Amino acid sequence: MILELRGIVVPGRQRPRLNNLNLQLNRGERVALLGSSGAGKSTLIAVANGSIIPFSGSVFWHGEEANSGRRKQRQQALIGTLWQDLRLVQELSVQQSLNCGRLAIWPWHLVLLNLFMPLETKECSQVLAEVGLDPNLLAVSIKQLSGGQQQRVALGRLLRQGAELLLADEPLAQLDPHLAARLLSLLLELGTTPRALLISLHRPDLLQGFDRVLGLRNGELQFDLKPNQLNSQQIEHLYASDQS
Amino acid sequence: MGYRVAPVLGLILPAFIFLPLLALLPGALHGGGWPLIVNFLTAALQPSLTPNLKAIAITLAVALWSWLLSMAIGLLAGVLCSPTVTETLLGCRWPAGTLRRVLALPRSLHELLWGLVLLQVLGLQPFVAVLAIAIPYGALVARVVCDQLESLPLAPFNALRSAGVPGFAALVTTLGPSLLPGALSYGGYRLECALRSATLLGVFGLGGVGADLRLSLQSLQFREAWSSLWMLAIVMFLLEQGIALLRRRWLQPGAWVGQRGRELVLLLVVLGLLLFPAAQLLDLQWQVLLGPWRWPLPNEVFQWSGWLQPWPQLVAGTILLTLMAALAAFAAPPLLLLICWPWAWLQPLLRTLGLFARLLPPPLTALLLLFVLKPGLLPAALALAFHNAGILGRLFLEGLDGQDPRPELALKAAGVSSRKALLMARYNGIATSYLAYGAYRADVILRETVVVGLVGAGGLGIVLVEALSSFAWAEVLPVLVVYAGLTLLGEELADRYRRFLLLNHTQTGGSLPPRLELLARGAAKRA
Repeated sequence: MILELRGIVVPGRQRPRLNNLNLQLNRGERVALLGSSGAGKSTLIAVANGSIIPFSGSVFWHGEEANSGRRKQRQQALIGTLWQDLRLVQELSVQQSLNCGRLAIWPWHLVLLNLFMPLETKECSQVLAEVGLDPNLLAVSIKQLSGGQQQRVALGRLLRQGAELLLADEPLAQLDPHLAARLLSLLLELGTTPRALLISLHRPDLLQGFDRVLGLRNGELQFDLKPNQLNSQQIEHLYASDQS
Repeated sequence: MGYRVAPVLGLILPAFIFLPLLALLPGALHGGGWPLIVNFLTAALQPSLTPNLKAIAITLAVALWSWLLSMAIGLLAGVLCSPTVTETLLGCRWPAGTLRRVLALPRSLHELLWGLVLLQVLGLQPFVAVLAIAIPYGALVARVVCDQLESLPLAPFNALRSAGVPGFAALVTTLGPSLLPGALSYGGYRLECALRSATLLGVFGLGGVGADLRLSLQSLQFREAWSSLWMLAIVMFLLEQGIALLRRRWLQPGAWVGQRGRELVLLLVVLGLLLFPAAQLLDLQWQVLLGPWRWPLPNEVFQWSGWLQPWPQLVAGTILLTLMAALAAFAAPPLLLLICWPWAWLQPLLRTLGLFARLLPPPLTALLLLFVLKPGLLPAALALAFHNAGILGRLFLEGLDGQDPRPELALKAAGVSSRKALLMARYNGIATSYLAYGAYRADVILRETVVVGLVGAGGLGIVLVEALSSFAWAEVLPVLVVYAGLTLLGEELADRYRRFLLLNHTQTGGSLPPRLELLARGAAKRA
């Protein structure tokens, strides 16, 4: 097991953003996280990558409790997040951005060298090929890329990071159907062993290829099923408003 | 394959200036003086409790008068410097260009030089300090106002003109409101500068708290010095916070129609009412302006002997001092912040240090440094660097706060340490605009080299100050010409560099501090 969340509570203003949530993720598993806006999907991703510390409950990484401090930093280095807004540093080149994935383990002199000379070009080219980009883009500035290309660079950064767990927060939200399908198949391909994949999604029509589907509503887990076990009633309940 | 150098290197590389500075340090140290430095620092906690309030009031009065005068001169001259305006009102563009070139001269001289010239011409008058600041500041404000006017889109103006609206009405309606936010923001900044300049002129004998500070430091009365410094710090802090508050209030998009205008008029009325007691306090006598002016005779000024100066040494000394001070001042804030970043409690201390750096005039810092350093280039460069690092540091923090925090959070979530994440994300984001402002600041430092001449830094500044103080007019003119030429050249180079930076940097929506934006827009338009 890569990641386990036990009894996670994250308080919110009106109701808890996550309420007593339990979850286990195994190596090679590709998991989709469904839920309406405000259901707690982004919070769950943020707890999983360590950027939110839960109010109560525990996070286990490879069976060991993830504490704060250096040990947490080492664990975080193995968790890669593809953010909805990508969060790339716009001023860097593609190669520098890919190498940002190595910053957590690089000593300071490599961090500084990365700013003015190409480092690990072979590895970066490989990563670009893996995410389906032309290796000639290495020297291009992030600002000059299209949205779709930037998304692939962000994904490439996770691969450079050598992440064991890939998290993606609504990665398809702002893409046209064609780009969305390509990115999703790429993510599913990358999420196989030795990695694991957890993606939050808005769209119940894109669940093919996932091993498990989690339904989140009001911060609570509603179901944890295989895609073919899921029926339309469960999905309707997930997206129904609180009044109905 | 080409490789892009990351912008953040522009923040890191200047820090190498600290290596030669540190290498020079052991040779420049002299034995005694450390107990004096310790005494000075410990006196900060026990200032004398009888501050000279009148001296502070005089400095404030000088700052207020000179600021209002410079804003009036600057707004009027700035509007007249704009070819669009002269073409609309007079039907030709050349008066704007001519006025712009004429205004380059007053701008090129530091207020201290204006102070010394006016002191000779008008005698020891309270007006000297006011005019000494108002003249160069007015020319500076004019340039910024004109740059901004020229960078505004002309389409709305042309639309009104083609609908038959008279020229003046169209100008006021279309360009006025667009000019206002920038002018307000820049005006607030100039008021802070005026307070610093008024303190500095005091150090050179033109009254106010600067004179007190110099006397108490020279007579080693550190507790008195600190009572003035703390008072000045409180005034400066209140002023900076007040201006920031007004800027936020007036520049926010949601301000209701007319609110800004009405509040501005109210503020101007309050400031206008303050002018009367300020004039009484300073004992301003208007008839002084009518004469007699004691200009030197032509045969005193035009003598060949004055042109026989060791020009290469003087120019090289000035440039070396400028480079050392500018690089150190530029590099210190990012470096210090990066070092202290993991310890949040150090940051308020850094901010306080920055406040004192801004308010302590460089010649006084240089005097303090002389307790432990031999006179020469080093104390002068360190004093200039300390003062300007305070100013640059404030801007750097302002810019950093305005940066998008998300790329940094993303790196931290991937296990990157907080220092590396700060460097790679927000430092990269702010680097270009900070470099552009640094170029402008280097230009200011070049002018400021005159104020630290007294610690034996060499260069044109000290020759000029000595020639002016000893009525050696034959020397004044040539040195003034070379000095003005050098500062105008520096201004042109800094401008070109800024334009180059900003044109290569397509804005990505990261907000710049208002002042940076103002300078950036002006530079971009003229390219």
